[in-house]
Amino acid sequence: MFPPFPPARRRTLMALCAVICVLVAAVVQGRVERMTRGGTIHPLLYLPSGKYLKVMALGFDGLAADMIYLWSIQYYGNYDIKDRYEYLERIYDQVITELDPHYLDPYLVGALIMTVEARNPEMALRLLDKGVRANPDQWIMPFEAGFLCYNDLHDYKRAAVYFEKAAGIPGVHPLVRRLYAEMYNRAGDKRTSLKEWLEIYRTTDDPYVRNVAWNHAHDLKVDVDLADLRGAVSRFHEMEKRAPHRLLEVVVSGFLATLPRDPEDHDYLYDPQTGEVRYRGGLVLGR
Amino acid sequence: MLNRVSAIALNTFREAIRHRILYLLLIFAVVMISFAQILSLLTVGSEEKIIKDFGLASIDVFGVLTSVFIGIGLVSREIERRTVYTLLAKPIHRFEFILGKFAGLSLTLFVNTAVMTAWFFLVLSIKGMFDARLGVAVLLLLFQFLLITALAVLFSCLSSPILASVLTLALYVIGHLLWSLELLSARLTTESGRILCRVLYFLLPNLGNFDIKGEVVHGLAIGPGRILWATVYLLLYGTGVLCAACAVFERKELQ
Repeated sequence: MFPPFPPARRRTLMALCAVICVLVAAVVQGRVERMTRGGTIHPLLYLPSGKYLKVMALGFDGLAADMIYLWSIQYYGNYDIKDRYEYLERIYDQVITELDPHYLDPYLVGALIMTVEARNPEMALRLLDKGVRANPDQWIMPFEAGFLCYNDLHDYKRAAVYFEKAAGIPGVHPLVRRLYAEMYNRAGDKRTSLKEWLEIYRTTDDPYVRNVAWNHAHDLKVDVDLADLRGAVSRFHEMEKRAPHRLLEVVVSGFLATLPRDPEDHDYLYDPQTGEVRYRGGLVLGR
Repeated sequence: MLNRVSAIALNTFREAIRHRILYLLLIFAVVMISFAQILSLLTVGSEEKIIKDFGLASIDVFGVLTSVFIGIGLVSREIERRTVYTLLAKPIHRFEFILGKFAGLSLTLFVNTAVMTAWFFLVLSIKGMFDARLGVAVLLLLFQFLLITALAVLFSCLSSPILASVLTLALYVIGHLLWSLELLSARLTTESGRILCRVLYFLLPNLGNFDIKGEVVHGLAIGPGRILWATVYLLLYGTGVLCAACAVFERKELQ
């Protein structure tokens, strides 16, 4: 049927045929991909839960978690996929961290994507809570959860609870203790914040931290003292129908246990005409 | 006896080398180095964990494949080629033949694993990620390979290479899933079912005993008893399987 080819030419022809076939197959593959793109079935719909994948992984659960994590980084970095956040919690909470509960990065990166990209900080907190439970010796987990409450939710009391948990874990970064102290201030509990900042001031060996703690404690002490003095003067005024002549009068009358002195060990300034109590210096942090 | 066993072992080792098993190591090396280099482009953090996971998993997979696919042919191939007759015509006991075959493949696996580990450690050292605890994980992987080899030798005495490979791989899968029998047992309502699960749990080879990859990669504590008991388990279970293989081969009719 075909004219007889010399063996050398036949080999060349076959090699050429092979190259052409592979190239055409690649073109067809591109066409198939264009056809299947944007299909009705979500690509993540059939990804089994981590519990089942753990069985299928046959002891390679760590590697399976790595592979799905790597894939997730590429998937969530692709802004062309419009509905990519639909299975976000499933991927990080029920698959990757289920396969390898001690793998810290998926908790942190997953929480970041949930907060910054998907705008769902509560979902991120659920993931980080799971990380806290699975890794009680890792301060970074409650720290991240606390930072999320502080920075994104502005829920300072909740943040303080997380920072307190992180601060109790050995090896914690010293910053966590400072954030913990500051959260009470943000939440309006200046007395607890002052107590914590003074504790940091007393216990730290780092001159920089000592200076930072002093600045915070200084301003908080002024705030707390002024609030106490103004409250006592106000109560005195209500009872006696006049302003006290001197601040000491509020102590004598039992409205205040002792007269506080400012951080520089001076008396607070008092104007008997107006009943106004002031601090003679300026606030260090100016808040 | 030791001389005869070691002579068979050395021949088995040479034969394994002739099987181009070292080419597998070359592939391993290329894959490892390529993966380590491209990894930084794909991940956010975790580079060290992924390289360690990948390295240990590669050693595991290559080791198991070597154990199974060389182990299953150890005896049956000798019978098929009729070389076993020449060998057994000499003053060699049948059990010595089995022990020699096992020792030869164990030596191959040891060399195989040592080369892969050396390469793995080199890649880690270049990237500043070396961790000596990984050596402990590799040691337990080697124990796993030895147990699988013993099983492969047993099945090689019992059946054809294809059936032997299916049975060995099946036991490898089951050996890594034994923990699920505990879960199943808790869900069963019948006492007999629970007893059966418990019996199977203790009778089948538990390869989970040799898997500390996760603990090592995450830097978690490994109890001192863990390695000791894994060693004792290997010695007992491995000896049992090899005794069974010797018994089967003793009774085997070679025509």
